[in-house]
Amino acid sequence: MGVSGALARLALRHAHLLVIEVPGYWLTRVAVERLAGVRGWRLAVSPADADILAVCGSPGPELALVVARLWEQLPGPRARIDVAAPDLVAAALDQAEAMLRDTPRQRRDSTARDGQGLDDAPGGDIALAHGSEDRDGLEMDVLQVRLGPVLPDWPAGLVLRAHLHGDLIVEAQAGVVDAGQGGPAGGGHVVGGDTSGDIRQVDAGEVAARRCDNAARLLALAGWPDAAGGARAIRDRLLTGDRSAAITELARLRRRVRRSWLLRWSLRRVGPLPPDELARLGLAPDLTGDVWDRLNGMLDRAVFVTGGPAGVAAGGPAGAGVGGPTGFDVGGSVTPPAAVASVVSGWDVATARLIVASLDIAALDVVTDG
Amino acid sequence: MADLPAVVSGGWAPVAAGLLGALAVAAALLDGALAGRAAGVRSGMGQPAGEVARLLRQRRRTTVAADRLLWRIGGAGLLGMALMIVTVVPLGRWTLFDLGVGVVWVNALDVLAWAFVWLTGWGANSAYALVGGYRFLAHGLAYELPLMFALVAPAVAASSLRVGEVAAAQQGLWFVVWMPVAFVVYCLGVVAIAVWGPFSPALGRDVAGGVTAELSGVDRLLFLAGRYALLAAGAAFAVPMFLGGGAGPLLPAWAWVLVKAAVLLAGLVWLRRRVPALRPDVFMEVGWLVLLPAVLLQDLLVAVVVIGG
Repeated sequence: MGVSGALARLALRHAHLLVIEVPGYWLTRVAVERLAGVRGWRLAVSPADADILAVCGSPGPELALVVARLWEQLPGPRARIDVAAPDLVAAALDQAEAMLRDTPRQRRDSTARDGQGLDDAPGGDIALAHGSEDRDGLEMDVLQVRLGPVLPDWPAGLVLRAHLHGDLIVEAQAGVVDAGQGGPAGGGHVVGGDTSGDIRQVDAGEVAARRCDNAARLLALAGWPDAAGGARAIRDRLLTGDRSAAITELARLRRRVRRSWLLRWSLRRVGPLPPDELARLGLAPDLTGDVWDRLNGMLDRAVFVTGGPAGVAAGGPAGAGVGGPTGFDVGGSVTPPAAVASVVSGWDVATARLIVASLDIAALDVVTDG
Repeated sequence: MADLPAVVSGGWAPVAAGLLGALAVAAALLDGALAGRAAGVRSGMGQPAGEVARLLRQRRRTTVAADRLLWRIGGAGLLGMALMIVTVVPLGRWTLFDLGVGVVWVNALDVLAWAFVWLTGWGANSAYALVGGYRFLAHGLAYELPLMFALVAPAVAASSLRVGEVAAAQQGLWFVVWMPVAFVVYCLGVVAIAVWGPFSPALGRDVAGGVTAELSGVDRLLFLAGRYALLAAGAAFAVPMFLGGGAGPLLPAWAWVLVKAAVLLAGLVWLRRRVPALRPDVFMEVGWLVLLPAVLLQDLLVAVVVIGG
């Protein structure tokens, strides 16, 4: 074995995974994240950072194309796993580890990739950005960037075609990947309180876990990995049935978030949405306020549906408990993609990401806005 | 007046690099342990070693029409910068370079972070990486001037730009005691040039890792190592500037330098776990409306004390 064997063993204990969630398979994605964390593995933020590509669910043709392109961008040694259900995750991760451990196989893969792929694409055929006037009337380059469908802490399947001035989104069109494929496959995994369909009864723990998952994403995007990790741990507890510990920790996380003046200062006044605007866009009425209000609203809703002791006090300092406990739309309704495109226009990428994460999206309407 | 540090031969440079490396590794271990504790996973301390092994085993990759030369220069530059900074930091009685303008030397080097971080973002020819690079510049616009004026305060108080003389001028009273604002602003600057914790939006998850979005293998390793080394070098430079240099009871001067640097470094590493990121646009207001006036007042106070005393 020698040095390279020891290196491989050490490296395998710290593999990075890029997780791709097919819409409707969030429980599978959560299971991948949880079990990978147990192994000491990390979540990658980009294909360059990843050793393992974990596809949760069966992608439609459009997403499959994206997945194939991302697979080409993994530097290698690399392994791809396709996981169809939460109970298959452990076996799939074992398989990924075996593939990464197999040095001869990785070497063959590496040799096969030499002389092809990105390195040798002709440099001359890249279109230059075209110009247009920016908000101050200056000539600016306009760059078309597709945000999604695969980005860290991004709603599954969402694609935003953004026109960027620098990093300012001047205009965006939203869509859902594989929207024409008749909705998400494997409907059994569609959760998060999607009550619009004939989907199985969703239990409160799952709804609360979904809120925690969304809050974790927002906290991660706000650059606070510790709090995000805490929210993810609560989510996992709620899903694995450790309800009482989860409720205590949730209350603690909510206090910690509320007390962080730095976070409050950073998220205040970002993406304000008044009630009439929400109604016009077809968004849930409890998303009133700015990103800070919505973050607290998510945590309040999680507390409320778990029936935690603090649930009654939901109309707390941030005023997030609009309408009191009975007014909560605990399920998280289906979000129209057009609304997402509309609320991010005029913001820079960083704030737009915070706003999208603050919408507490559980499911996206597959009707696109072209 | 205490003895000024003696210049040692360039043959000792690898030792200085080794000490910087040891501090950087200690920072990485502590960061791994803190992250592991927060996430509740077992392998916290082993994380840096595992990450190094993983990146050594990983292939380098490139992107379409990448500006490879500038990209690689940017990625490796941070580590070089950190090494150049420690050349003027006296280790007790010894120093590698006793520059007459040592303080300016460090200041000039920390500005290089602008180039290196931005070039790393630029070279990959990727929208996310470039957005990350510009975020760093936006932070730079807000932290750089306060950082410069923070370095002015100890130099004025010691009436010298020679790092050894600044350290020697603190016999009796450390500068951190009567110029706390300059010290805090300096520490913020160090955190910022290391693209660390609150100043990490340039590497944000929202832009798929920003500047590091396209880095893999040894390129990523160099960039990450450069960040830890910069944090360590910044902490080490704070010792002669604000923390009394090698002054202290019992232990020899060189040991005190290392102990003080390690303690400050641990504080900076810990900070990352406690606070969320500072959005560049929001921090801009703080930098210009709060930090800059505050540190200018600090300089004024120091100048008045020096002239009056």
